Amino acid sequence: MMQKKICMLGSFAVGKTSLVRRFVSNVFSDHYHTTIGVTVEKKSVTVNDHEIVLMLWDLYGEDEFQKVRDSYLRGSAGYILVMDGTRKATVDTALALQQTAARTVGTVPFVSIINKSDVRSEWEIDERTIEQLRERGWPVLFGSAKLGQGVEELFALLATQMVSAPSCPRD
Amino acid sequence: MNSRNPEFTPVDESLFNRVLLTLDIAVLERNEDGSAFHLRGLPPKWWHLCFGLAEATTLDSNRCSPFLREYLMNPHPVWENKTGEIERSGPWTESQEQGGTMTLEATALSVGSKNLLLIERLGSHFEHMRDIVQRARERMLTEDITTKSYRKTQTRLIGQLEASERTKDDALALLQHLGITALVLDERGYVTFVSDRALEMLGLGSNDVVGQKLERVIPFQEQDRQLVQHQLDGSSRTGSGGPFRLDRARPQWVEVEIHRDPRHPDRRIMVLHDRTEIHALRQALNEQASFHDLVGKSPAMLRVYQLVRDVAQVDTTVLIEGETGTGKELIARAIHFSSARKHKPFIAANCAGLTDSILTSQLFGHKRGAFTGAVNDQQGLFEAAEGGTLFLDEIGDIPSPVQTALLRVLQEKEITRLGEAKPRKVDVRVVAATHHNLSEDVVRGSFRADLLYRIRIARVQLPPLRERREDIPLLAQSFLGQICTATGKTIERLNPDTLRLLMSHAWPGNVRELKSAIEFAVISCKAKEVLPIDLPPEIISAPVVPSSSVWIPLPNRDEKSRFLAALSDAKGNRTEAAKRLGISRATFYRRLVELNIDSR
Repeated sequence: MMQKKICMLGSFAVGKTSLVRRFVSNVFSDHYHTTIGVTVEKKSVTVNDHEIVLMLWDLYGEDEFQKVRDSYLRGSAGYILVMDGTRKATVDTALALQQTAARTVGTVPFVSIINKSDVRSEWEIDERTIEQLRERGWPVLFGSAKLGQGVEELFALLATQMVSAPSCPRD
Repeated sequence: MNSRNPEFTPVDESLFNRVLLTLDIAVLERNEDGSAFHLRGLPPKWWHLCFGLAEATTLDSNRCSPFLREYLMNPHPVWENKTGEIERSGPWTESQEQGGTMTLEATALSVGSKNLLLIERLGSHFEHMRDIVQRARERMLTEDITTKSYRKTQTRLIGQLEASERTKDDALALLQHLGITALVLDERGYVTFVSDRALEMLGLGSNDVVGQKLERVIPFQEQDRQLVQHQLDGSSRTGSGGPFRLDRARPQWVEVEIHRDPRHPDRRIMVLHDRTEIHALRQALNEQASFHDLVGKSPAMLRVYQLVRDVAQVDTTVLIEGETGTGKELIARAIHFSSARKHKPFIAANCAGLTDSILTSQLFGHKRGAFTGAVNDQQGLFEAAEGGTLFLDEIGDIPSPVQTALLRVLQEKEITRLGEAKPRKVDVRVVAATHHNLSEDVVRGSFRADLLYRIRIARVQLPPLRERREDIPLLAQSFLGQICTATGKTIERLNPDTLRLLMSHAWPGNVRELKSAIEFAVISCKAKEVLPIDLPPEIISAPVVPSSSVWIPLPNRDEKSRFLAALSDAKGNRTEAAKRLGISRATFYRRLVELNIDSR
């Protein structure tokens, strides 16, 4: 069975762990519990009749206390950049992490998601910024781990892209 | 873990195991080809929770978490190059076989020829560090929320401030556009705001006004300032007063409106209304309603006032014509006091009923012994009026010899005292008056034509009161005020019925008769207003004169018809006809000539 390593990247408290837990276990907690290091979760999905196991590397959020180690990224078949719609600064972190990931693992599929669409009225990330991300070639999705909105679509899109990608690092 | 590696033999196994147990770490040795990791020494107590039985000495990669498996499979320079350095995996979360998780960290190192892997369970120090990071991040999130809240509040307040500024600007623009003269005073009486119109009115700049005490800004007179201050100190929501005079190079009159600032009860909004123009107009109106001592604002009297002003500008003799009691002497005084001679004497002489010798002596003076009783030299009225005006009333009654002497004076501007031969130069303006029709007197031969032409260079015809009835209320009120002041009585007004009677009376004695009637009424009056009963009986009992026949001026043709009708009714008796028309005999004669009526 095909296994694909996917790294969840983003600033702290953007909802990386919540997205993974919603996707893998369909649970959500409002309580913020910071991730230190890595937690790896697995979930099997079917893409184009191919069953693949997604190895979801839920990395700690990047901030001034912790920078993401390149070693965690190595071997990734794809990655997800998570941003928090209510904090515009998380876009800058996502941009920096995308460069780190590209430098470390090369050109692999990735998808970005702006989380917390359940509080859309409080978003700081405006349409112009989203447009600029799309102009960079970023697939930008909106979702809410809290409500489960856009979560399945997020992983399905990346899985599809990874399956379609010319090189699969770890089949 | 299948077997113990025989190549690894510690010097003192029991010591080594005690060290490992104390550090709570597992030590594994990597074989040459890297295909297996063998446990060295005793594993820590937690080992079996993740990796199975402690007796197994080789790590089963199938039991490893994906993270550790990948870490083991990845190349590590520290094992390849034997550098003697160490390489940490970073923390990862490992699931326990009985549920739950623990956080581990692997370290790759080389010791001599051996490649070692240490696996450490991150314990209380790590949890402490995690707590610190957790708290720090929670704090950052909280501060982020607080900052956003502040920012939102700031944005809202800025918006409100901008809206408020816009509203203020709009209100100010409106205020300026409306040209309201307004000032705002703080609780200490200092000006905090002034409108452009107010600055314009006060002739000051904003810096001269804002921050200054009110009395330094608006030059009220002391008494007015106290009144304004009283209003400012008052507790009523609004008040007004004035007009007050502002002491400036060009005097201004203002009315003051004071409002309590609805936002700050101790502050005041002062609105000034420039009443200078109204004041000037009112003054002009008052001046029009009276001229010197003359009262009346009827068109006829306004024409008289203008004529007097015109006549006063020249130095010719003037003839004043009018019925008795119309105020001919007042006109003469007005001419004098409006003329350049106003600082010189005004002498009035009544020429009626005097013999020619007495009148000659009075007018021209006499020398001692000129006649019996002339015990001293005496100057005449001409000399007494030197430089000024001599008013000769009832000039139509002057005896013929005096007319001749008067003509000489007017022509030569010199007089000769009685009993003297030498003439004396005089500079006197003569204003004459008569209730006669002097033209008729000339026709009758009782008045010299050349004298008439000499004195009638300028003419003022005074209308009888019945021809200017609209002046009766003004005159009556004026007399009432004068008489009350003189008598000390406090009568405030004329009863409307009283006024109606006054308006309907024929007033053959004209203004003089009216004044007498008011004097009579004031003496009789016992109330605050003059009642009809207070008037003289001839006014109360007199039949009401049909207004259209007497005091509404009619076109000449109608007037001629009325005169002819009156003559016909009176069977040609002119005195009777004049009485029927309610006019004097003299006026009747004059109008007959003017209307070209031959009554014979």
